[in-house]
Amino acid sequence: MFSKKFWIVLGVLIILSPLFAYAADLVGYSEPLENIAEKLGAEEKTLYEGILPDYSVPGLDMTSGTLISAVVGALITMGVAFGVAKVISR
Amino acid sequence: MHIPDGFLDLDIAFAFYILSGIVLAISIIKAKNDLSDRKAPLVGMIAASIFAAQMLNWPIPGGTSAHFVGGALAGIILGPFAGCIAMASVLVIQALVFADGGITALGANIWNMGIVSVFVGYYAFKLLERRSVFVASAIAGWLGITLAAIFAGIEIGLSSSFDYSIAVTVPVMGIWHGLLGIVEGFVTAGVVSYIATSRPDILEKPATG
Repeated sequence: MFSKKFWIVLGVLIILSPLFAYAADLVGYSEPLENIAEKLGAEEKTLYEGILPDYSVPGLDMTSGTLISAVVGALITMGVAFGVAKVISR
Repeated sequence: MHIPDGFLDLDIAFAFYILSGIVLAISIIKAKNDLSDRKAPLVGMIAASIFAAQMLNWPIPGGTSAHFVGGALAGIILGPFAGCIAMASVLVIQALVFADGGITALGANIWNMGIVSVFVGYYAFKLLERRSVFVASAIAGWLGITLAAIFAGIEIGLSSSFDYSIAVTVPVMGIWHGLLGIVEGFVTAGVVSYIATSRPDILEKPATG
């Protein structure tokens, strides 16, 4: 039902995620939205921490935390999108 | 360009919840015709891939980073209604599980990345695809992310935490993402062209006439 090529693509993207997290941490760059917010003095309010805050697993190192977040997030997203589509298509 | 909590005034956040809610409701009704049982797994596969691709934050020399958004891609492959449902799934999981994008800002984030980029990307592609699938999807990807960013600029610019500086936020968001959007365009074009040659059955049929 889910093609083999899809699992390969998803696997590659997931394996790359800790690498990008590491690179982002190293250079400390942020997105344009965050940059303007800083310039204009707007402040983010944390109302909710999430279950895996900022793609990390509390207590785990960055590499494994990011990897677990990527796997968990991709699978939940797939389940939700597939489930919703399946229900709608009935 | 996920807007966190604290950037949007609550009335603006609320208005975009309503707008996105209306479009999502319409999409659910309309997608019923597009979605065969066979296509439902594809919605899941596209959503999961976009989720994973969005985790890859590319550092851009000069101090900025950007990630692929994928709204236009979802719209082109799945059609706008199912595409919108796939993107909304991604954004809801990002907000609820990873606190990426605020809870109060979820309506606005769905509007920008899950609706504007999907529908604009889809219609731009449909308009141009008979000339060239590659060029059409590149323009669709670029336009999708740039317009999504402009909407984000409008929403934060109208909010008081940004001191009503819409004249700053819209150009800054638009110009930055107009540049970063070139990457979005090429990735979208690469994926759509590949699918168009290897699995043309997945793509919606080109409009005739």
